[in-house]
Amino acid sequence: METILLFAPLVGALICGFGWRMIGEQAACVTATGMLFLSAFLSWIVFLGFDGETYTHSLFRWIESGTFFTDWAIRIDRLTAIMLIVITTVSALVHLYSFGYMAHDENFREGESYRPRFFAYLSFFTFTMLMLVTADNLLQLFFGWEGVGVASYLLIGFYYRKPTAGAAAMKAFIVNRVGDFGFLLGIFALFWMADSIQFDVILSMGPELMETTFPFLGYEVNAANTIAMLLFIGAMGKSAQLLLHTWLPDAMEGPTPVSALIHAATMVTAGVFLVCRMSPIMEYAPLATNFIVIIGAVTAFFAATVGLVQNDIKRVIAYSTCSQLGYMFVAAGVGVYSVAMFHLFTHAFFKAMLFLGAGSVIHAMHHEQDMRNYGGLRKKIPYTFWAMMIGTFAITGVGLPTTYFGFAGFFSKDAVVESAFAFGGDLGQFAFWALIVAAVFTSFYSWRLIFLTFFGEARGDRKTHDHAHESPWVMLAPLGVLALGAVFSGVIWYNSFFGKTDQVATFFGVEYADTHAGDGEGGDHGEAASTEGDSHGSEHHYVFTSPPGEGAIHAAPGNDVLNEAHYVPLWVKFSPFIAMILGFLTALWFYILNPAMPGILAAQQRPLYLFLLNKWYFDEIYDAVIVRPATRLGRLLWKGGDGRVIDGGINGLAMGIIPFFTRLAGRAQSGYIFTYAFAMVLGIVVLVTWVTLASGG
Amino acid sequence: MTAADLAIILPEIVLALFAMGAMLAAVYTSKDAMAAALTYGTATVFLIMAFYIAVTGDGTRVGFGGMFIDDAFARFAKVAILLSAAAVLVIGVEAMEKSDLLRFEYPVLITLSVIGMMMMVSAGDLIALYMGLELQSLALYVIASLRRDSVRSTEAGLKYFILGALSSGLLLYGASLVYGYTGTTLFSGIIETAAGGEMALGLLFGLVFVMAGLAFKVSAAPFHMWTPDVYEGAPTPITALLATAPKVAAMALFARVVHDAFGGAVGDWQQIVAVLAVASMFLGAIAAIGQTDIKRLMAYSSISHMGFALIGLAAGTAQGVEAMLIYMAIYVTMNIGTFAFIMTMEKDRRHVTEISALSSFASREPAKALAILVLMFSLAGVPPLVGFFGKYAVLLAAVDAGMVWLAIAGVIASVIGAYYYLRIVYLMYFGDDREGLDGQMGTAAYIGLVGCAALMLLGVINLFGLEAPAAAAAEVLLR
Amino acid sequence: MQIGLEHYLTVAAILFVIGIFGIFLNRKNVIIILMSVELMMLSVNINLVAFSSFLGDLTGQVFTLFILTVAAAEAAIGLAILVCFFRNRGTIAVEDVSNMKG
Repeated sequence: METILLFAPLVGALICGFGWRMIGEQAACVTATGMLFLSAFLSWIVFLGFDGETYTHSLFRWIESGTFFTDWAIRIDRLTAIMLIVITTVSALVHLYSFGYMAHDENFREGESYRPRFFAYLSFFTFTMLMLVTADNLLQLFFGWEGVGVASYLLIGFYYRKPTAGAAAMKAFIVNRVGDFGFLLGIFALFWMADSIQFDVILSMGPELMETTFPFLGYEVNAANTIAMLLFIGAMGKSAQLLLHTWLPDAMEGPTPVSALIHAATMVTAGVFLVCRMSPIMEYAPLATNFIVIIGAVTAFFAATVGLVQNDIKRVIAYSTCSQLGYMFVAAGVGVYSVAMFHLFTHAFFKAMLFLGAGSVIHAMHHEQDMRNYGGLRKKIPYTFWAMMIGTFAITGVGLPTTYFGFAGFFSKDAVVESAFAFGGDLGQFAFWALIVAAVFTSFYSWRLIFLTFFGEARGDRKTHDHAHESPWVMLAPLGVLALGAVFSGVIWYNSFFGKTDQVATFFGVEYADTHAGDGEGGDHGEAASTEGDSHGSEHHYVFTSPPGEGAIHAAPGNDVLNEAHYVPLWVKFSPFIAMILGFLTALWFYILNPAMPGILAAQQRPLYLFLLNKWYFDEIYDAVIVRPATRLGRLLWKGGDGRVIDGGINGLAMGIIPFFTRLAGRAQSGYIFTYAFAMVLGIVVLVTWVTLASGG
Repeated sequence: MTAADLAIILPEIVLALFAMGAMLAAVYTSKDAMAAALTYGTATVFLIMAFYIAVTGDGTRVGFGGMFIDDAFARFAKVAILLSAAAVLVIGVEAMEKSDLLRFEYPVLITLSVIGMMMMVSAGDLIALYMGLELQSLALYVIASLRRDSVRSTEAGLKYFILGALSSGLLLYGASLVYGYTGTTLFSGIIETAAGGEMALGLLFGLVFVMAGLAFKVSAAPFHMWTPDVYEGAPTPITALLATAPKVAAMALFARVVHDAFGGAVGDWQQIVAVLAVASMFLGAIAAIGQTDIKRLMAYSSISHMGFALIGLAAGTAQGVEAMLIYMAIYVTMNIGTFAFIMTMEKDRRHVTEISALSSFASREPAKALAILVLMFSLAGVPPLVGFFGKYAVLLAAVDAGMVWLAIAGVIASVIGAYYYLRIVYLMYFGDDREGLDGQMGTAAYIGLVGCAALMLLGVINLFGLEAPAAAAAEVLLR
Repeated sequence: MQIGLEHYLTVAAILFVIGIFGIFLNRKNVIIILMSVELMMLSVNINLVAFSSFLGDLTGQVFTLFILTVAAAEAAIGLAILVCFFRNRGTIAVEDVSNMKG
């Protein structure tokens, strides 16, 4: 079943990509979509029927060289199962949605066939993404990692006649290369230390690595920290974290369904998945996890601030994605991987929905993307409006604290914030406040998007407004399904991801022990942890007791954040709620009650406004510090080094000197016997003279 | 002169009797009528002899008081000579017939020449060396001018003859000096005097003169001048012969003289051979670029290849000799394949040799063009093909012998040389489409072309086990 | 004055050099080249006989006989080729033996 699940998208991609001339365009797209729905259906069966026990299917031996070997294998555990349903569900819906969205695209000429290509790329992406999450070794994971990179490149640059799309595609690919370099070094280091890249082997080596050091860049470094850091650099690239985030907003040049699938729901979360997958190593790398927390928190804050002032509807959502990924990394960094996965899970639904909703708006507005030209669309496209509303409720975290009423994002975001607080220390406080401020901003820009798009006067081209129409059902149906996810995915799986430790442990197939009972099942660590558990006066205090490498996620002995997070003060639990209200009210005031306000503020705080509008000038800084010097160096080496010295040298030799000698040789071959005889005599005279001199005679 | 001596020289005697018998038979019948049959017969005899030598030969036998040596080295060279001569004979029949040159003296002269070559590689004495060399050369002078009614053919013969005589003179003068300073003409005697310590200047002079004479036979620069003209002027099947068997014989003789007679003074001749090698490689590579005639081009190509083979010799080690023998075997195979094609180049029923006639040949004859492509790439030494391994072997031998500069020079020369081989391929595949070759190719030539190309591909696996006998041959020479 | 080995060798060397010069200085007639070749052979013969006598070893003289024989054959073949060439070209001037070059 897993095999069918995994390869159905590939088959779909191949049939659609290569066979559409035979079976026709429509049939090809239907095939690809059908394959995806099959895959999604099987995924849900796997997910719901999964008992938490990890199992591995080996398909065949891939590489064997010395002590190095890898298989193509399918490893199913809870992490994989979660990713499976996220990927296949969103992908299937996006396929369906694309029938409507890609029906008539003005980026292509009349009669040009682009849809089979689009669907084939989408299916191919899905396949590689599945490869990534089902890998049972780092090489297969890396294959998937690069495969999604390629698919992302192809899809961002899908409108290949647009220069900006081509540039964005290259940017995405190149920025990811930086991260991949770190990732590869991490893989190499792991192989060096563990002599294997199989998860079975390396994941159980966490404690061992913590004790080991190896030389790196001239320093003797701690193995666990370094490896975790290198792997995280890879994750930073793929998940668009600060410093390597610049490609994600530009990636919005691709068609909107692509943004929904790749740059919101699935591919960009691969980094989070990687960190969770590597949790048995991360747990023993305190420096690296602290770094992850810092990067995650700063990214969440940074992206949210930039999102405040963007005008392109897709860019707003892109920065929002970036920000939400920061949340996930904070959760992973503080050691609560289940919460990171929880937010990944809910985020996939509501963010995909927001993107698809935005796509629907764009579709209705004839590919106008600037929100300043929207307004008053509530009546024109009611279904889309309500879908977007649900998405916004979810992302801003609408819900009643301490109860089970709320949208999906409410549960997962609160879980992240509480975990950060529970982590404690300066770092925990910093992360907590950064996330709260980010939550205010999130609420603000989300509502700003809604208000600018659906409320108020219609701005922009009047004719476009008049022609604005609701999207066809193939585009609305996916919105409906995702809306279900955005509403209910949080409450249904709340306990599984962020319930009591025993519930989470069961869900993730991790052994646990009740240290409060003091039966000593958890060993020494359990005893130590039990004293902390007492302070909350709960009846049971469970901890994860699986050794590293068993179960889907791992918590080091002493990592009690998951437990602690349930006992944070009440004001902490309410703070995201307050942040959400605050953001909403500000947005309401700015864009409904007093629409002149934003303009005045922007004028007053012009430097700040420009700073945010230009995304903290990251692109400009990179351009000045890296891109331009590199280009200059490249040009120097190309024109001067390669062109003048090497090409010039070779050409001079090949076209100047050698032909000269050729002519000379031709002239020497005069055809006259006496010349030939003379050459021979000359030869022997030279030889004799040389021998005489050489022998010292 | 005992029965044992005669047993050693049996193959040569058989061939000599065959040649005389054939001549008699041809004289007493209607001459050229049986030329074709005689040619095939000669090829068959060559094959039988090659088989006989390869199978029955064992150990080292010395006859006629040391003047004639039958060892693994001689056998390796003799088998190569006989096989290549037989191949050239068979492949060339059709082309000779077409140009009305298939006369009975053709196979007879080749037989005599082959006897001379076999004599050369077995020589253990300066006199035997000279006799073998002259028998080979005299027969070849005549064959080169076989087309008596052609200015070019007779001019080729004349040039070959005069320069050959000059080189013989140089060699003889050297031989006389060697004799004078060592008191013997036997290699086994010379090596005792020449071994160790300082060589007398006169002996050194003798060595240089002898080497000059031999360098002429392998057409190493600067003693190569005859090669392009003779290759161009001689009828093409004869050019094919000149490019193959005599080169093997001369190279083997070169190796035998420097190792058997002067093996104790490697340092004295090593540098000379190295210089000859470098000069040949570069001259062959550079001069070939300007050629428009494919036969001249092949002449320069063979000069360049001889340079590479000399690298193996210059190494002065058993490994070097082994590499040289392998190189020669590969070189001969490549040349037979290439000439099998050149012989059949025809346009409007006339034999043409202009390179430009090959233009866009691939579009008309893809199979043959592919075979030529393989051969050209192999000649150029492009890696997956056998030609590369030959070059690699000699360069490796040079490096192992501490002559890194020589290996580097070899690499540079092979890069330059690749140009003109690739130009032929380029012409065949991307040349302007216009009137090109239109001749038909006979079965034998076709098999020769495609077969040699296939060998270049298949030999990659283990060089057909060539290395073991070559190693044995090299070892016996340097014992 | 005692005529020693060195005198013979000197004579031979002079003859040899004359022979060589005859080959590449002469531009008139191919026959002269043939004669020069003969001269070279003879100088070698003088060398060999002188050495043979000096060393008290007969091999050199045997060698000389072989060379004489071969030289005769060589001269015959050379003249034959020359005749053929003359028939085709109508001249035996050295400068005219230059159809092929480059």
